[in-house]
Amino acid sequence: MSMNLDMISLNSEFSEGTGLRTEEMLLNVGPQHPSTHGVFRLVVKIDGETIKESLPVIGYLHRGTEKLAEGLNYTQIIPYTDRMDYLSAMTNNYVICHAVETMMGIQIPERADFLRVIVMEMNRIASHLVWWGTYLLDIGAMSPFLFAFRDREMILELFNELCGARLTYNYMRIGGVKWDAPPGWIEKVKEFVKHLKKEIENYHALVTGNEIFINRLQGIGKFDAKTAIDYSLSGVMLRSTGVKWDLRKDEPYSVYNRFEFDVPTATEGDCLARYQLRMAEIEQSLRILEQALGQFPEEGEIMGKVPKVIRPPQGETFVRIESPRGEIGCYIASNGKDKPWRMKFRRPSFNNLQILPKLLKGENISNMVAILGSIDIVLGEVDA
Amino acid sequence: MLGFAKGLGYTFKQLTAKKVTHFYPDVPYPMPPRFRGIQHFSPEKCIVCNQCARICPTECIQLTGKPHPDPEKKGKIIDTYDINFEICILCDLCTEVCPTNAIVMTNNFELATYSRDELFKNLNWLDDNNTNVREEN
Ligand code: SF4
Ligand code: SF4
Repeated sequence: MSMNLDMISLNSEFSEGTGLRTEEMLLNVGPQHPSTHGVFRLVVKIDGETIKESLPVIGYLHRGTEKLAEGLNYTQIIPYTDRMDYLSAMTNNYVICHAVETMMGIQIPERADFLRVIVMEMNRIASHLVWWGTYLLDIGAMSPFLFAFRDREMILELFNELCGARLTYNYMRIGGVKWDAPPGWIEKVKEFVKHLKKEIENYHALVTGNEIFINRLQGIGKFDAKTAIDYSLSGVMLRSTGVKWDLRKDEPYSVYNRFEFDVPTATEGDCLARYQLRMAEIEQSLRILEQALGQFPEEGEIMGKVPKVIRPPQGETFVRIESPRGEIGCYIASNGKDKPWRMKFRRPSFNNLQILPKLLKGENISNMVAILGSIDIVLGEVDA
Repeated sequence: MLGFAKGLGYTFKQLTAKKVTHFYPDVPYPMPPRFRGIQHFSPEKCIVCNQCARICPTECIQLTGKPHPDPEKKGKIIDTYDINFEICILCDLCTEVCPTNAIVMTNNFELATYSRDELFKNLNWLDDNNTNVREEN
């Protein structure tokens, strides 16, 4: 991305009132900075402690996933999607499988659908836990990070048992999933759900009620529903302004229409609201998990009827699902071959990040990291 | 400051909680049976069908075959087989397509070396990597 040249011109002025000369200054945050959660650079122009302008510079992690996909067949693309939103690889796996399955009209066996929903919701919780821990680390609390990673570790262990990897799962296949649940795995997930339900209470005791924390976040990074829609924000960023929009509810995919759950919303649109929503979402995910584990089919196939060579018919498709960060979409244009002619991912982190310069304008520099963290970006997904 | 005190209370309670840390690498870290570690390759099973090299998304498998030494028998046997672990992403696709289970995953995962060249593993090395071989493939 080229630099915006206007930003580099810095003003200095003499204030009659105080008798002081003030000067604007450019501050470069990142690309290697612990609070940018990846390789992300933010150039801010500050006057004293006030941010005048800011410019996010992205692309350090760009691997050209969409272009690479044009040279790969559909099964080969799945491991690449693991590396986009690497905190929630299961939802990424799902979106590409869902797109191809929609194009080819493949029926998914029930058991595979349930396994998919279970792993996606577990991944949502894991992703929110990482956010919770690192966000509090950003604003200065150390211990929540340790607790969050302790509990996330349990999810990763369960995934490791299921598909043999802790982060880059490559678990779903077009038409189903690669592995069936190993013996006793479902019981272990049930145990975990029970454990986390208790832990969530402790998380609230540890952080949510803390007065310093509430005062720190209330009223900063605020925007309204119209702005959110204008910037095409999604996920918690959108729901924190009062718009009730969750694709699991509004355009149910997989077997989500069989479960009862709420879509938490808030109206404040500030960092605190986003914190509360993500915590509430963990609770809702646990609710979905409980129901999915309860209704889990005793037996059945895990792969549907899939042709040996996957060749979606000529045409195009766009599907979208709800990832922990917002709406993730997958667009495929096929010319009937076994490789896509063009593939495009709508990545929520990328869209959500766009609002950052607007939110930072006029803010105090000490709020910068708190606002950036509340957007919850994953740089692998921003840059793809 | 009630909320603040409550939070501190939870932290203090952890003093008596069970430890969750592992003593890796002093104590080896066991991985579950399905874990995708470094591959084991059995040359005698390979039928040189090239499927693994074709499915590999990062094109890190290089293989060549040679005619069967016994002129009575048809087909080929494997001559060289290399995996470049600089770019292998342990995605499991090669082991999934192999019709004879010549290439299978193991539970070994310690790949760190001092030189990048050492990550280029050949047939003999992959054949010798025969501990903790995964059972279901
Ligand atoms: S695990 Fe994946 S990347 Fe590695 S050799 Fe096999 S197919 Fe290639
Ligand atoms: S897929 Fe298996 S049998 Fe075929 S070439 Fe590869 S290792 Fe050999």
